[in-house]
Amino acid sequence: MSILELEIKKESSDNPEIPDRTKPPKSGTPKDINFPKFFETKTENGITVLVIQDNRLPLVTSRFVFKSGAYLDHSSGENKYGLGSITSELLSKGTLTRTATEIAEEVDYIGASLSSGCNYDATYASTYSLKKYFDNIFEIMSDVILNPSFKEEELDRLKEQRLNSLLSMLDDGDYLSDKIFNKYVYGNSPYAFPLEGEKSSIEKISTDDVRSFYNKIYTPDNLIVAFVGDITPDEALVKLNSNFSKWNSPVKEKGKLIIPELQKSSKVYLTEKRGAVQSSLKIGHLGIRRDNPDFITVNVMNTMLGGYFTSRINKNLREVNGYTYGARSGFGCNKFAGDFSITTEVKTEITSATNIEIIKELNEIRNNFVGDDELQNVKNYISGNFPMQLETPNDIASKAINLKLNDLDDNYYNTYLRKVNEITKEEVKDIAEKYIHADKLTFSIAGNSQALKEEMKQFGDVEIIENV
Amino acid sequence: MSINQALNQTENITESEIVAIDFREHTLDNGLRVVMCKFGNIPMAAINITFHIGSKDEDEDKTGLAHLLEHLMFEGSPNIPKGQFDEILAQLGGDSNAYTSRDSTSYFISIPSHHIEHAFWLDSDRINGFGISAESLEIQKDVVLEEKLLYVDNSPYGTVEEESSVRLYYNSGYRWPVIGNMDDLRKVSIKDVKDFFEKYYIPNNAVLSVVGDIDYDETLGYIKKYYGNISAGIPIEKKDYNEKEITEEIREDIFDNINLEGVFMFYRLPAPGTKDYYALNILNGILSEGDSSRFYNEIEYKCELVNEIDTSIYGMEDTSLLGITAIALQGKSLKEIENKIDEILDDVKAGNISDREYTKVRNRIETYFNIKRQSILSLADKFSYLKTFFNDCNKINYEIEDYLSVTKNDVTEAANKYLNKNQRVVLNYLPKK
Repeated sequence: MSILELEIKKESSDNPEIPDRTKPPKSGTPKDINFPKFFETKTENGITVLVIQDNRLPLVTSRFVFKSGAYLDHSSGENKYGLGSITSELLSKGTLTRTATEIAEEVDYIGASLSSGCNYDATYASTYSLKKYFDNIFEIMSDVILNPSFKEEELDRLKEQRLNSLLSMLDDGDYLSDKIFNKYVYGNSPYAFPLEGEKSSIEKISTDDVRSFYNKIYTPDNLIVAFVGDITPDEALVKLNSNFSKWNSPVKEKGKLIIPELQKSSKVYLTEKRGAVQSSLKIGHLGIRRDNPDFITVNVMNTMLGGYFTSRINKNLREVNGYTYGARSGFGCNKFAGDFSITTEVKTEITSATNIEIIKELNEIRNNFVGDDELQNVKNYISGNFPMQLETPNDIASKAINLKLNDLDDNYYNTYLRKVNEITKEEVKDIAEKYIHADKLTFSIAGNSQALKEEMKQFGDVEIIENV
Repeated sequence: MSINQALNQTENITESEIVAIDFREHTLDNGLRVVMCKFGNIPMAAINITFHIGSKDEDEDKTGLAHLLEHLMFEGSPNIPKGQFDEILAQLGGDSNAYTSRDSTSYFISIPSHHIEHAFWLDSDRINGFGISAESLEIQKDVVLEEKLLYVDNSPYGTVEEESSVRLYYNSGYRWPVIGNMDDLRKVSIKDVKDFFEKYYIPNNAVLSVVGDIDYDETLGYIKKYYGNISAGIPIEKKDYNEKEITEEIREDIFDNINLEGVFMFYRLPAPGTKDYYALNILNGILSEGDSSRFYNEIEYKCELVNEIDTSIYGMEDTSLLGITAIALQGKSLKEIENKIDEILDDVKAGNISDREYTKVRNRIETYFNIKRQSILSLADKFSYLKTFFNDCNKINYEIEDYLSVTKNDVTEAANKYLNKNQRVVLNYLPKK
């Protein structure tokens, strides 16, 4: 190990000039930001392969992403919510030749990690390890993806754990407000149901359900594999082909699309959280899909509204009023539907005051142009901060996977900043009018429902949620 | 230790590959210690300034002041009006945040490297002079009260930190939580804030670390320009750490708004940097890192007693702590879980550590050290930490050897010394009726 350290000689004077602290200094010349190049190909059986090579550290990550997830839970029949996430978690709990314990032991022994999970629109499995152990971990990963055994005993164990986790999550105000928000905003769409499942649905899941879900989703033509770190495209392709070239897809069944509709008027849902001293708020309505052409403009508008620390909503609720530790707004953009929401936590007594301020901010950004400086600031913030999202090879891989997962143009990130900087205040107002509806809000509030129910009537019809 | 063990160890040490990190140090005339490290390939710089003042250094009737001041440091300084610090930084594409621990308070900024001088201008102004208004103080008190409600009062198991600290420590400031006592907080005056600021926020009580796309000479030039004129303060005298031993097990039932019962155990350990501290970190890996670890495999997987089990070592300046957290599955008893935990600890104390699990933890450490060499913000934080508490930034390159030189025997000895029932605090969290 070579350690280089230079002690700079102490000079006679450390404070040669008195700086003018009243004026900001000058800046240097900005450096160009380009999205790093990466290798991409498709195998004969349809796997999209990405390689983000970076030799600075002796680490290799492999990331498997299947382009469907818990959205398809419903396609397995009535009330199978949680099936996608259970299936992904069971992957590493046994293969045809390895038990769960053996997998854990082998992975841990080489100081590696193997994890899996899913969201509504994608299923993930990934490994990381030192380069010298990559062959070992990739062999285990291949086994886990190709030959999971889905044993009854492992499913039962996982179900027991999940039922307990669901119980525990009911103690968390943010979980409650989030769950009820999704339920009423997304209506009959699969996004309305929790991807971790419900007690009644988890109890019903069988190994047959898991196997049929696996067969539907875990197929090569539905798969993106990214290799990241100290690995060349040639090495990556040899690895992938030797383990996955014979893998073929059965016929792929697509889930039925159910497109939710915007509510007609505002409504308040109060969920009791035992012993609550704060209200957990999630307020909003339907938003946009990921492939909406207005996505970038929506993001810029939202950043100003509540997307960062100096945004309007955080400034109002935290810095001016001291109502909360923090407040944010965001557009959650799924593949087939999305939502817009503001989330925060405030003392029970200031719940109404908070709602009023939020509605005020929503109307303000809809009805008036944003300031020129404010718009310029947010553009600078987004552009200046962008390199932080490209810091590690895995950061870059996340973005590259995002391109493929959402069928975005290869040049998307290179034109992204240009597009951000071209947005006008007229466009921001148009977008706010189009996608923000202060009169059609769902107020999902978890807290002391008895104390809140009367005063919440000013915001819409109030419904008390009895069974979560 | 057998000869074989010794040989194996030497081999493993030379096999471990971590990439050395180059850095430079300088101390200004006013005592500000500076660490600079050219690192990474994005055009950004990370700046971390750490003051050697944390919640444990507070007066016991003025708890929470260190953390409250951390909030207020963003609320205006002589040349930067209230609200402008974050605003200006955002305009430049920068971002900032801060945290307070029991031993120190750290502020960090990320900024496109061509604007780096702005970051020094902004940051140094709030250290050079006091510009916090009474109005800001009142607003930030409310914000901190909400922070406490969010993370403590309204959060399941949220009171563990305060309930454990008050039983683990008697004399030192480690016995109150970082966020402090809310009754103290409500009473804080602007004079209290100013006095605290003037006493502790002095260049000779701080370390400034800059990591990223930087030029060493240029960066040091800026630092001298903006920080060189700040006057040194009266050197801080650290209070002696003087805690009596825990000699009898302390147990308490705590009633909370929870559905699942939980048991939380704490053992006091020696401070970071000591040989036993590293040995107990190896033990921590054996107990809870990965699905093959003892606790997960035995208690969660095989016996199906818990929904979650984990252990952590919290390193502090004068001491450290092993915390064991176990959340029971419905219908399983905390006593049974505790017995199982004790059984495993007794097994380790009897010297039953396999070569395989020992090697496993060492391999994990090697991976971990590499993964920790990626982010400029976390490296800046690490440099400030090492300089503040060890006065030794070189540790960034050799600390891995402190871990890898631990023998199985060291682990067993340390476990026998510190992990005894009569030395611990046990909190049983039970659902409120």
